[in-house]
Amino acid sequence: MALLETKNVTFTYPNEKKPALQNISLTVNRGEFLVIAGPSGSGKSTLLRLLKQEIAPVGELSGEILYNGKPLHTIDRIKTTKEIGMIFQDPENQLVMDRVLDELIFGMENLGMDTLQMRKKVAEFAHFFGIHSLLNKPIHELSGGQKQLVNLASVLLMEPTLLLLDEPTAQLDPVAAKDFLHMVDMINKEFGIAIIMVEHHLDHVLPLCDRMIVIEQGKISLEGNPRHIIETIQKHEQSHFHYYLPNIARLFLTYQEEKSTCSVPLTVREGREWIQQLSVLPIDEPQIEHRNDSQRPFIEVKNIVFQYDKNGEKILDHLNLSIHEGEFLAIVGANGTGKSTLLKVIAGLESPIKGKVLYQGRKLKGPQPGVVHYLPQNPKLLFIHDTIREELEALVERQKGNDPRERLQEMLQFFNVEDFLDRHPFDISGGELQKLAIIMVLLTDARVLLLDEPTKGLDPEMKHRLGKLLQQLQKRGMTIIMVTHDLEFAAAYSSRCAMMFQGTVTAISDSQDFFRGNTFYTTAINRITRNTNVPEVTTLEEARRVWKLAKNH
Amino acid sequence: MNYGFRTLHPLVLVTYYITAVIAITINRHPLFLFFTILLLIIFNWSIDKGKTLKSWFRFLLLFALLLFLINPLVNHRGQHILFYLFNNPVTLEAVVQGLINGFTFLAVMLLFITFPLIVHSEKFLFLFSKVFPKWGLVAMLAVRFVPLFRIRLQEMVAVQRTQGINIARGTMRQRLKNGIKLVQMLLTWSLEDGIETADSMAARGYGIQKRSQYNPYQMHAEDIFSLLFMAGLSVITISGAWLGDGVFVRSPVVELVFLYGWEWLFFAIHCLLVGFPLIVTAKEEAQWLYWKQKM
Repeated sequence: MALLETKNVTFTYPNEKKPALQNISLTVNRGEFLVIAGPSGSGKSTLLRLLKQEIAPVGELSGEILYNGKPLHTIDRIKTTKEIGMIFQDPENQLVMDRVLDELIFGMENLGMDTLQMRKKVAEFAHFFGIHSLLNKPIHELSGGQKQLVNLASVLLMEPTLLLLDEPTAQLDPVAAKDFLHMVDMINKEFGIAIIMVEHHLDHVLPLCDRMIVIEQGKISLEGNPRHIIETIQKHEQSHFHYYLPNIARLFLTYQEEKSTCSVPLTVREGREWIQQLSVLPIDEPQIEHRNDSQRPFIEVKNIVFQYDKNGEKILDHLNLSIHEGEFLAIVGANGTGKSTLLKVIAGLESPIKGKVLYQGRKLKGPQPGVVHYLPQNPKLLFIHDTIREELEALVERQKGNDPRERLQEMLQFFNVEDFLDRHPFDISGGELQKLAIIMVLLTDARVLLLDEPTKGLDPEMKHRLGKLLQQLQKRGMTIIMVTHDLEFAAAYSSRCAMMFQGTVTAISDSQDFFRGNTFYTTAINRITRNTNVPEVTTLEEARRVWKLAKNH
Repeated sequence: MNYGFRTLHPLVLVTYYITAVIAITINRHPLFLFFTILLLIIFNWSIDKGKTLKSWFRFLLLFALLLFLINPLVNHRGQHILFYLFNNPVTLEAVVQGLINGFTFLAVMLLFITFPLIVHSEKFLFLFSKVFPKWGLVAMLAVRFVPLFRIRLQEMVAVQRTQGINIARGTMRQRLKNGIKLVQMLLTWSLEDGIETADSMAARGYGIQKRSQYNPYQMHAEDIFSLLFMAGLSVITISGAWLGDGVFVRSPVVELVFLYGWEWLFFAIHCLLVGFPLIVTAKEEAQWLYWKQKM
């Protein structure tokens, strides 16, 4: 008997004509690891919430949801609360208590476990998760990754048999995200807890999962084990779905010699094994003409020191950076190294304690609307009107002179968000809001674009389109500075990369060279091709440029 | 810091906050309030060396000043006219009332900002989740809400400036309009986040049955003594207010600020009540000192 089964589940939100989910039938077995992917706004989160009935959305539901063969709503609340656990996307908002220990025991106390049992379990889990040193800390002092681990531990302490995860790593940096996924994998393999995870970034998840489901516009469009799905996608030439595949798989699909001699590689190790069989001739790439460095940089950041508090640590510590006009610079680095603060300083939102920011030799004083556009890490900060239409209307009105309405229409179409205009900005999914925020900063041509995590919440296809768009803007002479955790995105579209560490820029070079030198901060494709018989590349696009397959060995 | 006032039973802690608020609101006398503020500043200092207080201080002072100034400008009642402002009389009574308003606000806020530092969310749930689970939930969300609100408002104002919306510039009408929009959005946002937190609480079974307790709080002798002490003092305070001794009379004549007779007794009791945490902490500090000397 399956652990969880949905039969023809159709769900419609109140006041909506189109159902959010249509005829969803799926089964999850005990101990299975299931991944749900799909474009943003396709109903993935709705499905997950329907399975957790304590927080199920209100609306019209037909079909059946069975848990252990019984309809979910007939089962005792205490049992379902305990056995079906859920982790949400935002690490912050799901924390309830103000100290780590209190957060861990919150669920157990609600279930009425006795003190002795709780103490034993906390001791055990704190050790397993490596968070025993954090137990007495105020929770707001933790990093995003630590917070999400605490959330996970708190749910696991309730001993679930099924764990629902709604894009749990979307807000974490790559190292923290990997740690988190590693923990989820361990929980699945060592405790046999079944997992349903909604996730866009399949690179790290696909090797771990047993089965994958793709949901598009509320319907299941693909289902099967990862390799099977990759093969189906390739056969059907569903080109827009290519972007969902892990980069290793995409490289394989592009360069695999004869079909079906070797199964699709999912991990770096498998990829390296496959690449040994390949014989590739390098094509000499025409040297990219280097910009004239003798020219004065467009933006100069000089000896910036920034701290929030006299006794606090230095967020930015004598940081120097120069950016040329028409450059697309990506800034990477772990959480808390000062990336976002640097962007705010360049935007004129924070003034440094020491040092200065020069734009074409002139000192920056405060924000420069119309010249420097800034996309904050949290897109919600940009919206102050009740509906998106009003917000965009107000934005259009603020532009004196040229009328950007036509451009706006194009952008709405490009980002596929025309349907949401009459909704409240907080009523749409995180991915949709992110797209609208991007439209807001791109609508009028600024000279400088400052983007803080522009790809957050975007599905892979949209990410690709955004990347292309940014490259176009760059070609037209716009200067783009982007802070990102998304290394694949930075490698594919930016022209230069900088690494931040402890408040300074520790390394900066052209994107291709930058990733070649890194062990962890690099792309999967780079890790596969490093020190092998094929020319080292960092992205699929680069491989397309410099690789030529030899006919035979 | 894991000694002193905050180690007392949660019921004692909450009782202190309730009685202190009552004492502040009934003893509306400049001298009472002035000493209350002094004691509460020391209390704040004893908890975290004034870290929390510092982050609030400018805002509190500004708001208190506003309250102090607004009354004489709006309220013109009273016999002692000090001077005329825009053809309106500014009276001594109104100025004193403004001072009391400002002081009361400052005192209540100084007390309030220590609350989350002393009564952790876990202690709070221990007290309220059994009796009023729904209210416990609302209160938990509200406590989270306050610091977030301040941080976000600053962020939002800053980010809107990059969009060309500046609430510090433009016509008054425009500024007001944008300002209101901003605060409105902020409220919606915080409520939205609150829903997410509430979801997370519901997902982990909050309120489905009686909660158990990880920390078994027990009433010790000093807890019971503290409760009795505070109960006694507040009874005297309330009866004092009833007799009119803690109340500052403004009409028909403005009373002298200085105290006389029985009022000194009520003043002392008021200070004991508001300064109760300091007494407990000082007592324990003294015990440590004594213990160290003995070694």
